[in-house]
Amino acid sequence: MQNAQNTFYIALRNRLAELNPNRTIYLRGITRPGILVESNELVTAKLPSDTFVVRWSGLQGDPFLPATLLQMECEIAYASEGTAGNLGMDRGAALTEMDAELVSILQPTCTPKMNYAQSPAIQMGTQIFWTEAKFQPTKIERDRLSRVATISVFSYEEPGEQ
Amino acid sequence: MLRLPTNGVAGSDGEQLGQATPSYEDIPLSPAVFRRLRAELKDGAANRYELLISASSIGVQLGLLQLSSTSQLFGMAYGIVVDGELMLIEAAAEAEAFGKPYLYRLILRGPESQPF
Repeated sequence: MQNAQNTFYIALRNRLAELNPNRTIYLRGITRPGILVESNELVTAKLPSDTFVVRWSGLQGDPFLPATLLQMECEIAYASEGTAGNLGMDRGAALTEMDAELVSILQPTCTPKMNYAQSPAIQMGTQIFWTEAKFQPTKIERDRLSRVATISVFSYEEPGEQ
Repeated sequence: MLRLPTNGVAGSDGEQLGQATPSYEDIPLSPAVFRRLRAELKDGAANRYELLISASSIGVQLGLLQLSSTSQLFGMAYGIVVDGELMLIEAAAEAEAFGKPYLYRLILRGPESQPF
């Protein structure tokens, strides 16, 4: 399960870096692609702006298949206040740009499962795959627009996996 | 004490996947006034506190850390340690006089109250 979650995040991160190298976040002294896993970072009171935040929520298993298939629910939250140069009047366009980027980086909807517990990472025997994103309505908090997209990620548990 | 995480390692997958053990440094801030915001306690509810810090103390740290704004400083901090207890920074505001800040006000979230 952990391998599948790590693989999903790294796949999206690498695709985002290729698609839009300018979408970055400065975190703990490092500039990196603008996507993070919320539970892997320091607790903050507010979502970072212009960054994709990945959260893992539900989990279901199907034990009746020859190999256990896990279905993990993933939320990707993002928000924008627009840019200061435009006095925030481009916040709608900024959120739409993030919608489009998310649609792009979720394609193709599969990737080989990797084990990142070892360095360098090693490719495992199966793939993870996921559904199209379901976009929730835009939430408006004063000058901040935000949205959550939900995706179901599927992974076969391989022998020896936790 | 302001608890700041030390810089991460660029390009490290393990760090972004939560596999690294983070390190931090505590920076003393004084003079400061600390007080509880909400006197009534409820089981399971986090206590909230207010910390008033002298702007001169913050100004010194901005210079030492080569940061351009206090929002950057408070944004990168893990929290404030008061008497060994770590509290998260929920909000920060400054008070100004003659166009210059003289005080920073932080709202802190303490640990949840425990039932007896």
